[in-house]
Formats: sequence, structure tokens, C-alpha cells
Amino acid sequence: MRLLLAFVLVLAASIAAAEKVTLRLSTWEGDEGLRIQRKALAEFEAAHPNIKVKVEGNDFNVYFQKILTQVASGTAPDVSMMTFEHFQAFGKRRVLLPLDDLCAQTPGFNLSDYYPQIVQAHRYDGKLYVLPRDIAPHGLIFYNRKLFREAGIPYPKPTWTWDYKERPELKGEDFLSMVHALTKKDASGKTVQWGFASDPTFMAKTFAFSQGATLLDDYENPKRITYDSSVTQRSFDLVYDLVFNKHWMPSPSEMQSVMQTDAGELFRRGKIAMVQSGIWEVPNMRLGLVPGKPGFFDWDITIMPATADHHLQFTTGGSGYAILASTAHPKEAWELVKWMAGPKGMAGLAASGIAQPAIRRLATSEPWIPGPNTPEPMKWPPSRILTDTAVQYVVFPPTSEHWDDLESFLNNRISSIWSHEMTPKQALDLGTTEAQQRLDQINRIENLPPFPWPLGVGFGFAVLGALVLWIWLPSRGKPRTLRQTTINRSAYKFLAPWIIGFTVFTAGPMILSLLMSFTDWDMILPAKNRLFGNYLEAFTTDPRFWLSLRVTCTYTFIAVPIGLMTSLGLALLLNQPVKGIPIFRTCFYVPTVGSAVASALIWKRLLQPGTGLINSVIYGFDGKGNFLGLATLLKPFVPPGQTQVDWLGSERTALAGIIMMSLWGFANVIVLLAGLQGISQTYYEAALLDGANTPQRFRHVTLPLLTPAIFFSLVTGFIGSFQTFTQTFILTSGGPGNATQFYMLNLYNQAFNSLRMGYSSALAWILFFLILGFTVLQFKGSKWVHTEAG
Amino acid sequence: MKDRSSMGKLARVITWCVLCAGALAMLVPFYIMLTMALKSPDDLATSTYLQWPRHLEWGNFLTVLTNPNVSFPLFFRNTAFIAICVTTGVVLTSALVAFPFARLEFDGKSRLFTLLLSTMMLPGIVTMIPNYVLFRYLHWIDTYNPLIVPAFFGGGAYNIFLMRQFFFSIPKELDEAAMLDGASNAVTFWRVILPLAKPALATVGVFTFVGTWQDFMGPLIYINDPQKQTLEVGLRSYQSLAGSQFHLVMAASVMVTLPLIVLFFLTQRFFVKGIVMSGIK
Repeated sequence: MRLLLAFVLVLAASIAAAEKVTLRLSTWEGDEGLRIQRKALAEFEAAHPNIKVKVEGNDFNVYFQKILTQVASGTAPDVSMMTFEHFQAFGKRRVLLPLDDLCAQTPGFNLSDYYPQIVQAHRYDGKLYVLPRDIAPHGLIFYNRKLFREAGIPYPKPTWTWDYKERPELKGEDFLSMVHALTKKDASGKTVQWGFASDPTFMAKTFAFSQGATLLDDYENPKRITYDSSVTQRSFDLVYDLVFNKHWMPSPSEMQSVMQTDAGELFRRGKIAMVQSGIWEVPNMRLGLVPGKPGFFDWDITIMPATADHHLQFTTGGSGYAILASTAHPKEAWELVKWMAGPKGMAGLAASGIAQPAIRRLATSEPWIPGPNTPEPMKWPPSRILTDTAVQYVVFPPTSEHWDDLESFLNNRISSIWSHEMTPKQALDLGTTEAQQRLDQINRIENLPPFPWPLGVGFGFAVLGALVLWIWLPSRGKPRTLRQTTINRSAYKFLAPWIIGFTVFTAGPMILSLLMSFTDWDMILPAKNRLFGNYLEAFTTDPRFWLSLRVTCTYTFIAVPIGLMTSLGLALLLNQPVKGIPIFRTCFYVPTVGSAVASALIWKRLLQPGTGLINSVIYGFDGKGNFLGLATLLKPFVPPGQTQVDWLGSERTALAGIIMMSLWGFANVIVLLAGLQGISQTYYEAALLDGANTPQRFRHVTLPLLTPAIFFSLVTGFIGSFQTFTQTFILTSGGPGNATQFYMLNLYNQAFNSLRMGYSSALAWILFFLILGFTVLQFKGSKWVHTEAG
Repeated sequence: MKDRSSMGKLARVITWCVLCAGALAMLVPFYIMLTMALKSPDDLATSTYLQWPRHLEWGNFLTVLTNPNVSFPLFFRNTAFIAICVTTGVVLTSALVAFPFARLEFDGKSRLFTLLLSTMMLPGIVTMIPNYVLFRYLHWIDTYNPLIVPAFFGGGAYNIFLMRQFFFSIPKELDEAAMLDGASNAVTFWRVILPLAKPALATVGVFTFVGTWQDFMGPLIYINDPQKQTLEVGLRSYQSLAGSQFHLVMAASVMVTLPLIVLFFLTQRFFVKGIVMSGIK
């Protein structure tokens, strides 16, 4: 008996062991990072035979919106990579598993092994939601020692300061005089070697933070945006001066457009003496600068300069792993998280030099810090231990889950500073005002009653009932013959798929969408009743609404008419007796059947300044040409400090670039050509008999008879154009500034980035009425369209 | 034809030249896409856009195809699967629904047809978000159902309209003859109308196939699992992965575009027919 029991127990245990748990892990890592991650996962699986990990990769730009919509749709992964900038949105909705208990219950696990700053940054409402994996302080400076020696100045100390004004004894060793000493200009005053390169916004923010500037009045429950403080403005002014007046630092557009490379590459070529970046840049540096190979120079890292009283604060990157609360296997998920963010999972990343471990012990020992056994090329940078020093200076962004949203308003305006379109004061004031508007709106929504769904559903059925009644009404009172009943029965059988489809996928959703447009709803927490609040917000306080409407209308009213005129011209030419019509017709049509994403990618290249095809035509391959006088004509649209139009990179021309792209391919040519060929010859013969000449025949026969085809192209063209999305989603994401902030892009972001389903439904309805109104207007004003009867 | 013959020879040459220039301009981006896909990184950095590759790097395609993180063969299969399912659904049900609108005098016909036409004007965006909510409740997110199932319910107003127009061009005498022989509506539809409507079916089919292949927003919002992704969205992911290696991005672009172009050349006449039919109301 006892033997039997033991047998059963062993059997049960072996079944349990054989039962494999599969965990889904979401990651944004690509290429090298993913390779290292997969290796760590393989080791994890080997150590935990009952757990299998399925990796789901998504590109970082859409990563968090994907996870959030996965949560909303009940398809969330078990474990997800996370950052301290994004986890609040999850923490607030209680969809992540708090890790405190798990940490406490695990023998041998010590949370104090991790840098306390980064652990603290992953707490929300006092609970730990993310186990940090790495930390990446942004405030490192890579410097070229050779250039320092040539300039005859000492290497920068990690304790250096911005300037020496308050501390004269530091003169010559301060940041500004070193940058000055390292900048070389040619006889014409053009900079040939820059002293320093950095993301200028980062630099200004570092200077501002170091002087005690803040972003918000309260980082958790903000009421006021404090981005426009005088300290922040002075900091931006300082960097602005370095970039645009002193030319000691290249502007981002100078780097991207003129030199077509990034600061790291220019540093490796010896064109920039110091470059600000994070430690992730090290593998690139080692690849580009190999000891013993030509072009190698001695280099090292230091930390951003402090204020005269040694205050220093800069932002940081970093990431970790979180467990989704919906997981069916929290124990196994914790094993995975603990492994991946622990010493074993971090070993590969630390050895590769990509990511500084969040466990301090690992970040202060080999292989992260070069030691006696480190191979020669891996010895650089020698002062690697400064990455540990840098951690004490990091500041974290606001914990308010809305910061991402608010910051995007600010960043859109700040980008105008560095493209030289606005002064720092203008941009900061405007960005702060817009972000403040948005913040006020958010704070107003917080306390609202729940949405009365039963009432809404009742309304929905009433609408459907009314629709059925409206369809049935004309047949009321008609004598019911057997024949008619048979026909009806047969017809509705044929119609059934469409009637069901219409109800379920069109009418039902439209009613739902209308109801949703009165709510504030993220699909996770219960919907709140906003009544007309969404519509009001769009019309009065959403800074992006009117802006996106203006962008969309400008695009539509330029692109559609130009496209139509060109199509008409081409169709008229194709209607002539020339050889090869089918081939031409194909050529004009074929671009529209290609892949929209591929088209966007190739056009990004064509529209590039410098070597791009469009500019090569306008300015010639040598950059000195002036095709058809276009170079002169386009002069006002050239960004300051540049010699060519930067189509997609400048606010002045980005929309024009997208319009140009829309003119690749003319689907309407076929419609118009068919219309032309459908015009009966008898009309022309009659006109000829009346003595009409060619222009008269065109004016009085061709054009009027073609109007139905023109009208059709116009109406469908406008409807499509109002919904432009893919091109800007891929090419510009709404930038630069807000120049290509299309209506649909804003709507998409509101819905799937911010999960504001209610507000985006309201936006959809506004667009719907806009299109409807415009189409009705076109029909009302369609007297010019020739009809058969007339 | 008198109008045509009256044109001078010079005018004809000018017309031809203008058309040639225009057609060439349309083809240049394709040419650049192809040549860039075949250049090595060094070649790319040192040559201008219009130069033919110094050496044809077919290996670029292999590099893209063998990327362990972005599987284009898999995307191809997914996309083809979705496109075939959707096309089947659309062709079948749009013909089915168009039949009574073209041939039967049933109660409520005119108002139902008005309803049908009005949905043609409806921007997809109004139903996009609520449909997402609907599919979420059906647990259809991250499956192909949201992309495929709706196609089996009428296949869209535009296609129904196109079919109806075509059915009008089939002589009514044919189905009247069938009716006299005692055929039901279903038999008439299946035996008489459908076989004669093959060109229209092909047109709708080709349009739907290409449209589904090109769809970006649908897979973007409904599919989360990268393994289930389609070519268009996959190409975008690939671009952000391999952003700076432009020869590879272009090689991937060529692979995504090529099937569409080939399909277009094979089925051109159906395209033209479809556009002509929808353009003339």
C-alpha cells in the first residue's frame, strides 16, 4: 500500500516536472542586443528545464503602445521589458505584479545589491513594479585625447565646471574655454573642427537641472508645467549661442543634412573633440578605433561639467523587467525576471560593454571595468569606473503617467529651436502653454461619473430599430402578393451576409463609436461619462486639433487639385494617336499598386538634401546648379545655415515633401482616359460641322462630357486625402515641429498611444462630419457636372 | 477619328516626348530602389543615385531573408494567407449581395441600396476604434479574424456596387430563359450569372488582393505577435532594425514590392476594367 502511494507520488511529481510552462517575453531589443538576450535566455532554459520562453520582439517606437493595447485586449505577455519612463501607465492601471513580496520571499535575493536610485525610480505608490536590469546615465563625454594634446590643454577632469566666472582659479580647465580651444575655423570662418557635440536639448536641460530647474511643480500629481522658468530659458540661450553664434557645436540639422552622419562617426573621424553620449556608444567606438590600425587615437570618457558650486544633474536611460499581473505563472515569471536582471542574465551584456548593470557590484568589477585580463581593444575607455560615479548625478523624469504625453508638446516646439525657426523663449513659452492646456484638461477629467452603458445600449437598439423602420416604410400598405413574398424571401437570403455584416461591422460599431465619443475610456478602467467634453476639448483646448486640421486641409487642397490637373493633362495626351498608350498608362498607374511602406522609404531617400535625387536635379550633383531657376526660387525655404532645401527635415518644406510624394503615380489617369474614350465621335463631328476649332471643341465638347469622371476623381480624392496616414506615420511621425501633424496621425496616437478611446472616437466623428459636409457641398455645387439628361 | 488625324506630326512628337519624360519620372524611384538594393555599402556611399551598381550584390537579399529576428518568408506566407482568404470572401459574397440589387424587385430595395452607397462615403476611421473594441470582446486581437472575417460579410460597398454594375451588362433574357426552365434564383445566379461575370469577379478579386496586400493599418493595430505580422508592417519593423544599412532596407522593399508589381502586370486588364466601371456611374 505504502509502495503504491510512493509510486503515485513519484508519478505525480514526474508529471508536474514534465509539464512545461511557456512564458511569453516581450522585448524591444534588436540585432546585437537580441542576440545577447537570446543567449541569456537559452542559459535560463537550460537551468530551468520546465520553463520555455517565447520571445516577442517589437520595435521600441511602438513597443509600449503595443504592450498597453495587448493588456487592454487581454493578450498581454507574461514578462515584459520596461523602463522607468513608461511603467507608470501600467502601474496606475494595476496591470503589473508588485515585486516587493517576491523579493522578500526569495532566499538570497537582496534588493540592496541594486543602485538604490534606479530601484526607487521603478516604484509607483510605494510598490516596486520593475526589477531594473541596467542603468545608462546620459551625461558621459567621450573625448579625443590626441586633440587635447595638440591644443596644449589638460584632459578634462571629472570635477570640471561649465565656466570659471565664479571660480577664477579654474580658468582654462572649464568646459567653455576647452570647447573654445578645441574648435578650429578656416579662413572664411567656417568651422572645420568642433569642440563639442551633444543633443542640444539634453545639454540645455543638464545645465538647467544642475541649477535646480524643474519640469513640473509636482512630479507625481502635477498642476503646473515649469519648463519655461528663467533658469531653463537661460540654459537654452547658452546652448543656442554655442550652436548658432559661436559655432562651437554643430546643430542636429547640420549634422544630419550637411554631413549626413552622427556625432559618434564624426568623433571617430577626429572632426569633433568631445561628444556627449552614453556608455552604449562604447562598442561603436571600439569598432571604429582599433589600436594599431590607421585612424586610431587615444580616447577616454569623462562626466558632464558641473556648475561652479559643483551641482550636477542629468537624465539617464535604463531598463528592467516587469511581470504582467494577468500571467498564469507568476512564480515562473519571477524566476525569469530574477535571472534576466540578475548577475547571470546580465553577464553577457556587461561583457559586451553595451549596458551598465543595475547591480552595483557588477558595475564596479570585471568584465564591466577593464582589468589585467582584459584584451587590448577592450581596454578603452580607461576611465570606465566613471560610469559608477555618474550614477550619483542622475535625475529621473516625472512619475506622472501623463509626462510622456506632456513632453511631446514641449519637444515638438523645442525642435524648432535647433532648426533655427524659433528662439528658445518663443519655443519654451509656446510649448509650455500647450502642455499646460493639456495638463489642465487631464486634471479636469480625473473626477467624472461612470458612463451609463445600459442607457447607451438602449439608444443603440433604438437607432437600429429606426433604421429598419425607415427601410420598411415604402412597402407599407402595398398589397402582399404571394409572388412578392417569394421574391422577398429569396432576395433577403442573398442579402443576408451583407445585412449581418452591415449590422455587426458598420452600424453597430458606428453607434458604439458615437457612445464612446461621450466617454473617457482606456478599455482597461471603467468608462467615465464626459457628455460633450471630448468635442469641447477638441474645439477649445486641444492644441493639436486645429493644428492637425490645418495641416490636413493644406495638404488636401494642394495635393488633390495638383494631382487631378496633372492626371487630366496626362489623360488628354494619352488620348492622342501616339504609339505605346498601354505602356504609358501602366507607367503612370504602377506606382500606386506598389507597397506604401516601401514607397515612403524610397522617397525619404529621394528627398534628402545633398545627395537626394530631387535636390540633385535642382542643385546639380555638384550642388552648384540652378535647374530652371528653382534653386533661386526655393531660397526662402532653405533652413538657416544650410545651402539646400531640406525637404522632410525642415518645418518650412516637410508638407511640400509629402505632397511631392503623393504625386508619384496617377490612378485617376485611367478613369479620365476612359471618360475621354467614352465620348462619342458624333459630338466631335457635329462640332466640326459647326466650324468649331480645336480649342473650341475641347472647351465645348471634351470638357463638359468629361466632367462626370472629373467629379468622381475629385470626390474620392478628397475623401482619401483627408485620411492620409501611412506616409507621415513612416516618414515624419508628425515632425519636424508639428509641420506634418496630420489629423489621422493625431487620432491614431490618441487612440493607440494614449489609449484615449473616447476622445479619439470624438475626433473620428468630427472628421466624419467634415468629410460628409464637404462631400455634400461638392454634390450641391456640382451644377458644372454634365448629366445625360442635361 | 477626324479629330485625331488633324493633329500635326510635330505635335505628335512633342506629345510623345512629354509622355516619355513623365513615364520615366514615374519609373526612376523603382530603378533607384532596385539599384540600391544591389549595391554594397561602400558602393552606396561613393556612387550617385543613378549609377548602376559596380558589382551586383545579390547577397543583400540573402542577408535580409536570413535575418533571425525579422522573417520575411514568414511574413510573405502570412500576407498571402490573409490576402487569399479575404479575396475569396469578398469575391463570393459581393457577387451574392449584388445579385438581388441587379435582378430582383424586392421590398425595401431602393432604401437598402441608398444605405449601401452611403457606406461608400464612410471613412474607415469611424468604425476602426469601435471595431477594435468589438474584436477585443470577441478575443480576436492578435489573430487574423479581424482582418479576414469581415470580408465574408458582403465584401464592402464598393465591390458590391462594381458587381451590380457588371450584372446590368448581362442580358436579362439569359436569366429569364433559365427561369422559364424552372430554375430558382439561386440556380440562375450560380449557373448563369456567375459564369458570365468572370471578368468582374477577376477585377474585384485583383483589387481586393492588392488592397489587402498593401494594408498597413489593419495588421498594425490588430496583430501584436511579430511572428504573425504581414510584409508591410514587417518592412517597417525591419527599417527600424536595420535603419542605417540602407542597401538592406531597399532589398527588403524590393521583395515586398515585387510580387505586387508582377501581379499587376499579369492582371492589368482587370485593373483597367475595374477602374473604368467604377468611374462611369
